[in-house]
Amino acid sequence: MSVVVRTIARIIVPMILAFGAYVIMHGHLTPGGGFQGGAVIASAIALLLVVFGSGRLAGHKNLLSLLEDLGAIAFVALAFLGIGCTFFRNVLAGSGGLFGMPVPPGPNPGFLNTGGTLPLMNWAVGLKVAAGLGSVVLLLGLFGGGDDR
Amino acid sequence: MTLWGVLQVITLVLVVVGAALAVWLRDLLAAVIALAASSLLLSLEFYLLQAPDVAIAEAGIGAALTTAIYILAIRKTRRKEEE
Amino acid sequence: MKWIKVGAFLVMVGFLVGVAAWMHPFGVPWASEMDDYFIANAQVEAGANNVVTSVVFDYRGFDTLGEATVLLCAVVGVALVLRRTRR
Repeated sequence: MSVVVRTIARIIVPMILAFGAYVIMHGHLTPGGGFQGGAVIASAIALLLVVFGSGRLAGHKNLLSLLEDLGAIAFVALAFLGIGCTFFRNVLAGSGGLFGMPVPPGPNPGFLNTGGTLPLMNWAVGLKVAAGLGSVVLLLGLFGGGDDR
Repeated sequence: MTLWGVLQVITLVLVVVGAALAVWLRDLLAAVIALAASSLLLSLEFYLLQAPDVAIAEAGIGAALTTAIYILAIRKTRRKEEE
Repeated sequence: MKWIKVGAFLVMVGFLVGVAAWMHPFGVPWASEMDDYFIANAQVEAGANNVVTSVVFDYRGFDTLGEATVLLCAVVGVALVLRRTRR
């Protein structure tokens, strides 16, 4: 791609990554969540691929696969935390520990330390979706080889 | 009809226009851009219907990732559609 | 053959316009007991302000598990098909 596109991509990719991390991190407070934030981060990876070519990212293929499996395993492990009651039981909500602050009912400004297992599941699913969709785009860019610019 | 209703009708008409352009255009890159514009307007329509979660997902998947995949596929193959 | 296609197109357009004209209005669901329960109790039970996230990850967690499985299968399928990179 041309130098204008490359310069603008260098400026805008950190912003997209920060917005995706914000959408994942505040998934239990504001609209969004793991899937949406992961899609935003994967779109940043796709922008890098389209602009800079897939050659530079080729070495990270195995890392993306590893992160995707890690996200899936973390999601299922967090679901198994509540196996004492039921699968997917939210054991951390309201317990006072990590992410366990009780929420006052009704309108409130939103506290990050709430939600129980929801923020951890948001991170797991966000990691999984970002790495999965990013590796799909990367594999498609690497297929056939050759014409990167 | 209220202002929101008029805005929704305009957005939906533009979505249909973008989809028709994506079918009608012969230049495949321009068709992909029309499809991305249609998807972004559909995301705006989801936001107008007060579903911001679906709007973010549609903007991320439909407007960004699908466009990137189509552009990569066009770069691997041809740009012009055959007659 | 051409007139059959035009007729099918006109029938489809008429069907869609009729459905859009007779559509149930937005924001007025037929049954809303579950929605009212989620909106009333999601903040206390799941501890999340965003009720959609508490439904997706807590009340209906199996749906998210199925979605994650579908995504994993899609990535594995793409990795199998596009494995050869010639590099």
